[in-house]
Order: sequence, then C-alpha cells, then structure tokens
Amino acid sequence: MQQHVPVPVTGGAAGSGGTEPPEPGPPATAPRASSRLRRRAAPDPQLLLSWLPLLVAAALWGHALPHIGFRSMGEYGLLDRLPVTYYLSLLVLTAGFLATLRRAGTAPWWPALHCAALLTALKGVPAVLYDSERYPWASKHDAVIDHLLANGELRPSEGLSGNMSAYDQWPGFFTLNAGLVRAFGADGAATYLNWAPIVLGLLMMPVLILIYRTFSEDWRLVWTAVWIFQLANWVGQDYLAPQGLALLLHLAVLAVVLRHFVRPGSAGRLRSRAYLDPAAAAVPPPTGTRQRAVCVVVLVPVLVAVNAVHQLTPVMLCATLLALNLTRRYRNPGLLVVAGLLMLAWDLTMGRPLFTETLGTLRESLGEITRNSRAGYAGQLTGAGPELAGRANVVMVLAVAALAGTALLLRRRLVHSALPLLLASAAPVPLFVVNDYGGEMLFRVYLFALPGAAFFAAAALVPAAGGSGAHRVRPAVRRISAVALPVSLVALLAGFMPSYYGKEQMNYTPPAETALVTRAIDRAPDGALILATTGSFPRALHRYDELEHWFFAEQELPENVAMLKDPAHYLATRLPPDATAYVILTRTQDVYTAGEGLLPPGGFAGLTRDLGASPLFRVVERTGHGVVLRYVGP
Amino acid sequence: MSEQRQPILPVRQALIRAGVALSGWVALSVTALPGGSPLRWAPVLLFVCFGPGLALLYPQPGAPGPGARLETAALAAPFGLSLAVLTATALFLVEAFSATAFLVSLAAFTTLVAALPGLPLPAATRGAVGRSRPRPGRRR
Repeated sequence: MQQHVPVPVTGGAAGSGGTEPPEPGPPATAPRASSRLRRRAAPDPQLLLSWLPLLVAAALWGHALPHIGFRSMGEYGLLDRLPVTYYLSLLVLTAGFLATLRRAGTAPWWPALHCAALLTALKGVPAVLYDSERYPWASKHDAVIDHLLANGELRPSEGLSGNMSAYDQWPGFFTLNAGLVRAFGADGAATYLNWAPIVLGLLMMPVLILIYRTFSEDWRLVWTAVWIFQLANWVGQDYLAPQGLALLLHLAVLAVVLRHFVRPGSAGRLRSRAYLDPAAAAVPPPTGTRQRAVCVVVLVPVLVAVNAVHQLTPVMLCATLLALNLTRRYRNPGLLVVAGLLMLAWDLTMGRPLFTETLGTLRESLGEITRNSRAGYAGQLTGAGPELAGRANVVMVLAVAALAGTALLLRRRLVHSALPLLLASAAPVPLFVVNDYGGEMLFRVYLFALPGAAFFAAAALVPAAGGSGAHRVRPAVRRISAVALPVSLVALLAGFMPSYYGKEQMNYTPPAETALVTRAIDRAPDGALILATTGSFPRALHRYDELEHWFFAEQELPENVAMLKDPAHYLATRLPPDATAYVILTRTQDVYTAGEGLLPPGGFAGLTRDLGASPLFRVVERTGHGVVLRYVGP
Repeated sequence: MSEQRQPILPVRQALIRAGVALSGWVALSVTALPGGSPLRWAPVLLFVCFGPGLALLYPQPGAPGPGARLETAALAAPFGLSLAVLTATALFLVEAFSATAFLVSLAAFTTLVAALPGLPLPAATRGAVGRSRPRPGRRR
C-alpha cells in the first residue's frame, strides 16, 4: 500500500478563520502560464492519484460482488465468503484516500468521494446482493410500519405484549417511513430497508464535517476523522431503526449549538493564533442572548422530532447539553431547560406507559454498572465467528480509545479548544449507572461517543501542519505519523470486517424461511400465542398487534439447560390453559441461539426433535428452513 | 464544498428558490407513476430529505458567513427530516394520514418558506456579536 507523508494543509476559511484557502495549482515560484502548458501536455499526477484509485476500487468491488457466497455462509459469516478482490478494493480505497489527503485543503471533493465510496464498499454488499431483509430487528421495524399503515392511527396506550406499544409511543421514525412507503408506492419498507446504512451514513457525513470544521481548520484532520468514524461505526445501529435517524438529529442539534451558542467574552486566548494548535479553528463568533433565544426557537422542531423518534436519544442529548453547560463557552441553561421540558412533556404524554414502567424498574437497575454495560440479554458468544466478532469489537473500542487518548496527551492545545466535543463524547457514559436498555446500552453509549472519539483519534494520527516556535512538530513525529496513519487505517479496516460481518450468518435469512414464518403467523387466529426460542428471526413480529409472543430461550443459560431436559413439558406447564399456541423454530434462531450462547451446542436440534416427537405438539409444517408446531395439549 | 464566500446573483438565487419551491409538487406528481419505479421514489426521497430543509436554511439574510454553505448542506437533511417526522406523526395523530396528505403538507410548507429568507443562524451570517467585518472575498 502506498504511504504518503502528509503535506501540511490548512486550507479553507470555514469555521472561523477568515483566511482564504490556498490557491490550487502550481507552486508560487513556477510561472502560471508555463504550468498551464505543462498541464495540457501531461495529465496531472495528483489528479490521477485522486480518481484512479476510485475507479480501480469500484472495478474490484464490482468484480467481487458476483463471487460473494452469502447464501452459503458458515460460522465466519461473510468474512470467508468475500473474495480477495473485495479486500483489495478496500485497500485501494484506503491508499487513494491517503493520496487525496495531500490536497485535502484545496480539493476536498476527492476525500469526500473516497469517504462515500468507503461507506458504500463497506456496507453496500448486503444492500446490493441480499434477496431478503438483512437483520431480523430491521424486519421487526418493518412490521411496526405495516402496523401503523394498517391502523392509520397511533395507539400509545394499547398495552401490546412485549412492550410493542412503545413503538406507538415514540412513533416518529415509523410514521416517516409509513409516508415514504406510501409515497414510493412500495409494498413495504422491506423493499428499501437494506439501503438504510448507506443513506443514513451519507446524510451523517456532512453533519460530522460541520462539527469537525468547528474545531479544526485542517481538512486532513477533518477527513481522517470522517474516515475513522466510518471504520469505527461497526456497531450496527444504522440499520432501518429509530436510533440511526435520532443520532443524525442529535448531531445536527450539537452542530448548531457548537457553532451558534458561544457566549460573548468566553473565548479568551482561544481566539489567539499564537496559543491555538495550528490545526485548531478559532472559537466561532459569539452570539447575544436574543440571538441564542432565536436559535432555541429554530431548534425546537428538531428537538421535538428527536423526542418523537426515539426514547433514549433525548436523554443522551440532555446529558450532552448538560456537559456543555460545564464550560464557560457553552453555558446555555435556557436551551438545556427547553430540551429537558420537551423530553418530559413527551414522556408524560405520548410515552407515559413505558416511561412510568421504566421509572418503576430504575430502583433495581440504578448503580448496577456491570450489569447495565453488558451486551445482549444473556449468554456468551459461542463459535469461531461470533467469538472473533466479540474480540474484534473489544479491540476496536480499545483501539479508538487509545488513539483518542494519545491525542489527549499529545495535542493538549487542540484538546483545549475542542473540549466541548470531548465533553459531548463523554456525556453519555454515566448512563451506564442508570439502566441496561435491554442489553443495548453499551452499543448506544459507544455510538454517541464515537463522533468525538473519531476526531481525537484522527488528531493523534495527523500532526499539526506548518507549526512554528512552540507549535513546531519535530521531523521524527512527522515520520512516525507518515507510517502510523496508513497502518492505523488499515488496522481499523481489519477490525471493522469481523466486527460488522463476523456474525453475518445471524443477519441473512433466506426468503424461504421468511415465507415459512409468514405462512405460520398468517395461519394463527387472533389472540394466539407465538412461541420461539428468540425474537431474532425474520418477520417474528408480523401481525404483532393481533398475537401474543413468548421468546422462551431469552434467559440465562442454566435456565435453558433445565428447559432442554424436557422442553415439551417445560412449555406446556407454562402455557395458559386452553391457549392456542404455535411454536416456530427456524434456521436463523438456531444460528442466533448458538452464536449468542443462549443454548448449548446441539441444544436447538434437540429442542426441535423433542418437541416434534412430543404428543403435546403437532407438526403443522416442516421445511428445510424450520418447523412450525401447534400446541395440542395433553 | 469550497468555503469561499461568493455573492450569489439574484437571478440564480431566484432560480434556486423556485426549484426548491417546486420540488415538493414534482414529488407529489410522480406518485402517479407505478409504485417502485426509480422515477417515483428518487424525487420523493430527495424532496423529503432535502426540500423542506433547504427551503428553511437557504438563502441566509445578508452575505453568507464562513461555512454557511457547508452548514446549509449539512443541516438541510436533519431539519427537513424533522419536519417530515412531525408532519407524518401529526397526520397519524389526527387519523388523516395518506401519502397525498403527507406530501401536500410538506410541499406547501416548502413553497411558503422558500419565498422567505433563510433561518437566522447568527454565526453563519453577519449578525453575530463582536464579529469582525468579513474581509472582501477573492473572486475566482
């Protein structure tokens, strides 16, 4: 892979500087006219380095696609099904990105194109290839959209099983998608949901750039941060889900606050170039009380939308605003109060049922930091692929934290000027004290901390450009960073792949399995109980407002081991009398329960065999993708 | 994404405003096409994501400050999607949801605000407190 010594670039007047970007083209010493002649005579090598890697990477990626055997994934998910050309395309993109960084200040479109290409190359494979909905939770959200379209109204107090009414209490994302489904003339969100990571990623990119530009004038640092964000965003929260949109809105609010809510007289020496890190941007211009009040009004629709979309994000947002209030620069209690009141108003009206229930359980979860920060419901990752993914997740978190930590030590003046971003990243961490959010809190805290962490990680890898005097960067540091930057980006890329695709076998569901589940659920009469080992299978919640659900293996392993001794008896004794109950057991459940360690090896097969042989259950349908049984009772 | 400040000609500004104002009605009209056609979903998606947000944020009153264009580009989608979320949710709450109601509401809003100056985000305009006068921009 090519390694390029970063060239000092601090182009662009955005942010706060007022300095004009350097003129693109030839060095000042070369006569302009002769340079033009030379350019006509031979292609500009820099331009060639900008577009050629994109072209080569696109060709390699396109060539790899038909050779990706996603239908025959084994325990390593997509990792061993992706051909060498796919991995080569990612390396070529990385090399191209590093090459375009040399001109990042004068030609920012090239790194932008590379970042967009990376996003597509990393997350576009399922969107282009899969013939079914990727990720069972996305299909759950598809079911919510169907439910809203069928009802044409919101029923926040209906009290559906499995807390499914929560989706009517924070319905914004689903009502938006209902509008899109109808306006697209599509049958459902299933037709486009695999593209959600790409669309959300593309919409988020300019918001990230806006935030990063508020703190740095160095385009190389900004683009590297965006690149690292893409690589570190393996956490898989950007599927068709409310939290992806909510994060976008959260970051938009943060960007407006950081740029338009600076209090007069608070910048101090952060306006002095002599003090600032050469890569840092001066503090944005201050605003008066009236101007900030107007900005609060401008932000109100976005704040209400955040509340309408997602229950946790407003909490994260208030925590972030509270953290910003700790600085003199962004002490805006008015905005915090407005955000808090809007959240409270939503929680006490639309979100009242779940809000009061959560308050009731807070006493148990408060202070249980270890339990709250645990990933998933229960169980340990099992199997080569899931275990590799789990280890890669940890390594990725540590790697990003280590890089960001290095910047905190080495770029103290940049950290001083970008302190609000650091605080905004750290603000969600205390939420571990409060609640486990159904085993998801770890991922959510990581996701909300990531934008800031990516910025500081990039600051560790891209040394200040053109510093002098106290800011002078030693040549040795430049040499180290010339190696560290490409090595780190490739290492993060290597970590992303198992983190994102290591458990992909759980996420791809063959259409025949989806059809089996749909038939089974369509067959069930209103009020029937659907039993399955886990809810992580396609269309698990199809018709969820007409049926009850029990995902009986979503509990600790020892209880499941006890259940496996006589599963038919275990289920029968816990079913309500005269229940109309169906058990759906599918391949995806087998993969999920084994990979997440909910059932011991062979447990799912044994369960299927035992229930099929039990007189308490009758097989309704059996295919190569699963079995559907009906409870017939003793 | 150049950050240079360049005055935008009134004719060009008027054309952009007219384009943004019309985008919603175009999105509405393409819903007559068969479902699933790219000629249908692409304009609808672009309008819902960017139309209302651009109408809100563009053009800023006075000469655009540093980063104003980047700001408009970045915030158009979050602001537009926020309005789309609120519109769709409100329609469901009053039990009047339909694709037409959804798009007409957004298109009407977009047309209305496209005729008005952009939202007064102070740091992106000349109005910020204590801000030095912008230097005359070099034209290319």
